[in-house]
Amino acid sequence: MAFFVARRLLYLVPVLIAVSLLTFLIASLLPGDLAYTILGDQATPENVAALRRDMGLDQPIWWRYLSWLGGVLQGDLGRSFRTGQTVLQAVSERLPVSIELMLLAQLGALAIGVPLAIVCAARSGGPFDRFMTGTAFGMLSVPTFLSAILLIYFFAVELRWLPATGYVPFGEDPAANLRFMVLPALTLALAEWPSIMRVLRSDMIATLQEDYISLAKAKGLKASRILFVHALKPSSLTLVTITGINIGRLIGGAVIVETIFALPGIGRLLIGAILTRDLIILQGVVLLVGAGFVIMNFVVDMLYAVLDPRIRHGHA
Amino acid sequence: MKAGIRSGALARIFLVAGFGVALSAMPANAQKPGGSISVGLEIDIPGFDVLKVGVYDAAALTASSALFDTLTTLDANGKPQPKLALSWEPSEDFKMWTFKLRPGVKFHDGTPFNAAAFKANFDRQKDPANKCRCAFYISNVNNVQAPDELTLVYNLNDPSVNFPSLVSYASQTNAVHSPTAWKTKGDEYNRNPVGTGPYILKSWTAGDRMILEKNPDYWDKDKVYFDRITLKPLPDAQSRFASLQSGEVDLIWDDEYSADNIQKAQKDSKLTVHTYLGSGAQVYAFNTKVAPFDDIRVRQALVMALDRKKMSQAITNGLSRPASNPYGDGSWVKCKDDGALPEDLEKAKALIKDYGKPVEFKMLVTATPRGRMVGQVLQQFWKRAGANMEIEQVDQATIPPRAFMRQFQLTPWRIVDLADPDIQMYSNFKTGSPVALANYSNPELDKLLDHARVTADTNKRIDDYCAISRLINKEAIWFWTFQNTYYAISTAKLKGLPKMYSGMIDVSRAWKE
Repeated sequence: MAFFVARRLLYLVPVLIAVSLLTFLIASLLPGDLAYTILGDQATPENVAALRRDMGLDQPIWWRYLSWLGGVLQGDLGRSFRTGQTVLQAVSERLPVSIELMLLAQLGALAIGVPLAIVCAARSGGPFDRFMTGTAFGMLSVPTFLSAILLIYFFAVELRWLPATGYVPFGEDPAANLRFMVLPALTLALAEWPSIMRVLRSDMIATLQEDYISLAKAKGLKASRILFVHALKPSSLTLVTITGINIGRLIGGAVIVETIFALPGIGRLLIGAILTRDLIILQGVVLLVGAGFVIMNFVVDMLYAVLDPRIRHGHA
Repeated sequence: MKAGIRSGALARIFLVAGFGVALSAMPANAQKPGGSISVGLEIDIPGFDVLKVGVYDAAALTASSALFDTLTTLDANGKPQPKLALSWEPSEDFKMWTFKLRPGVKFHDGTPFNAAAFKANFDRQKDPANKCRCAFYISNVNNVQAPDELTLVYNLNDPSVNFPSLVSYASQTNAVHSPTAWKTKGDEYNRNPVGTGPYILKSWTAGDRMILEKNPDYWDKDKVYFDRITLKPLPDAQSRFASLQSGEVDLIWDDEYSADNIQKAQKDSKLTVHTYLGSGAQVYAFNTKVAPFDDIRVRQALVMALDRKKMSQAITNGLSRPASNPYGDGSWVKCKDDGALPEDLEKAKALIKDYGKPVEFKMLVTATPRGRMVGQVLQQFWKRAGANMEIEQVDQATIPPRAFMRQFQLTPWRIVDLADPDIQMYSNFKTGSPVALANYSNPELDKLLDHARVTADTNKRIDDYCAISRLINKEAIWFWTFQNTYYAISTAKLKGLPKMYSGMIDVSRAWKE
């Protein structure tokens, strides 16, 4: 197992370097010029040239990349030219919000997706199964911003049950925090549960046809016990994979959801940095999010290996 | 002689029929102290240290009008009234203004406010070593002197008849900060601002709420009612409006691009739409030194091919108000004849035909959904007249430098709402000015501009500015599409919101019924 982990960790290095290079290139290739952005109305050719010199923008791109990477490796991701905050300050202030949002969304998606998958698998081909599979397919194509606005309209404007926008830190008032988080997390969960349900359902249907399930039935075990104990565990391997894949989608969804619900998370930080051409923040956030995504996937791989011994011994 | 009497810049209030506009009338004795207000702004405020942020946008102005004081303030008629300055006096040539300051005022950190503190603010922004983007906005001021504790002298490079009005709103160069605070806090000052204003910053969560509390030692505390102001950035227009409808916020910033919400709110008795018809306009400049715009026929043709009513319908449900001059309804410059060219497609076609060569050009457009939409509408108008415009999308920050370096054929620009047209008209049209984007020179125009800025008689100035408008319209070196209109939507209970000069929503003296 230790050998397996070490090998996977080695794979991480080139991936993270690729992430850093892509991040830097994307930020450098954005239209516009940092010097113009900073100088604004004072961007005379002389001022621009002087500032570009000061910031090292006149150096070749490979040199700029290496000096930025050198800073990153020493834990210095730079400072926003707009707010004076360091990247790490800005990210650490906002990371808890995004993590909470994604965790709640994932829990919500599992809470909707798993029971539906079990019921559909138990009665596969029946009217409920057909209806739910169709609904899941339809839900996959509803854009996040639309479900967000609809949820706000019903629950905040019409019924006045939940707030439309805003945020309270969990440490300040846990109950209020959850009230503010319900709608954003539900919006993301609505986009995630269909994939969970569809994958788990087809896995469970295959599992239910295994010999040992027939044996369990013949022994007279309760149907519910067969479903939840004997069939769900082997089928949940796929669920782990799907959860890993979903992290990327969740991050993308969080950008939209945080903007609509005005949550002070990483997604909002990213959008703000793009709109104001705050390249230092942009590069730093994309790098950290990219690295986080890669590492999360690594963790999922490890989890998978723990759940299924065939993988770590290379027999899968 | 008091400047207040001299510069009678009377902005008249217009109620626009069919808009149901509720302009904040000030009922007497209805003010109730106490309570709090929650305001939904469009964007996160980056901070207040002018060296870092350079310019205050609409969101920052709402906060700065509560945290800071300025020398003067504008009343409902657009006339300057005392704030940190009690009185003011110009020199004969209007190039020197002397302000007498209010005694006994202190910053929130206890530092006394005086002429030296004000001068320290100015010098910090003007100092070339600080490379402040804000320096551009005080380029007309040569220096500020503090001959004694309560006397402040502004020495200007050019005469300014209306100067006290121009230092009235809480912009990056007018808001007064505590020198002690920025010296001791360094990098941290940006997010821990200290002013003399009616409210003190209590807490600020990045990307989330900023909470301001009433300043118990404020020199004018009897006119400050709310105990607390909460400012929240709500970037999405739809959910911002939903937050107002559901009662989470009491007031939101808005603009005509979310016309649906404004029109919905106008029909809702529980909400009030605050509209300020500002001066200035959204404008476009032709580079008259390059083909095809070196020919007046082409410029006139493009202006005549516009259909502003249709354009307004297409981009803002008809809310945008067509502009035929650079001054607008919010200005005290009213012209019987502003020389606007007719919107006449047939004439436009004839002019292009007369020109005889293909009319093809590029126009700079901001790479935003709004920018693209406006660009496409203009493209269609000009296509009908026989001109081919190619849209060149650029980043917002690229437009000023491209414009200053004259690397464009046609560029969008804006004339913002200021209490006096002089600053912008002079820099936009005077021969040789870096912002005279059209590269156009005309002795008659220069003479009118020079005369208007040193004349104290308002009526004579109006004559000058109307003549200027006629000349620019006839030569078609710039054209105007829509006037500046500023919006806020609030609960109907909110009262006492002053006019939104320069788009600034100032809630520091408002109250709830």
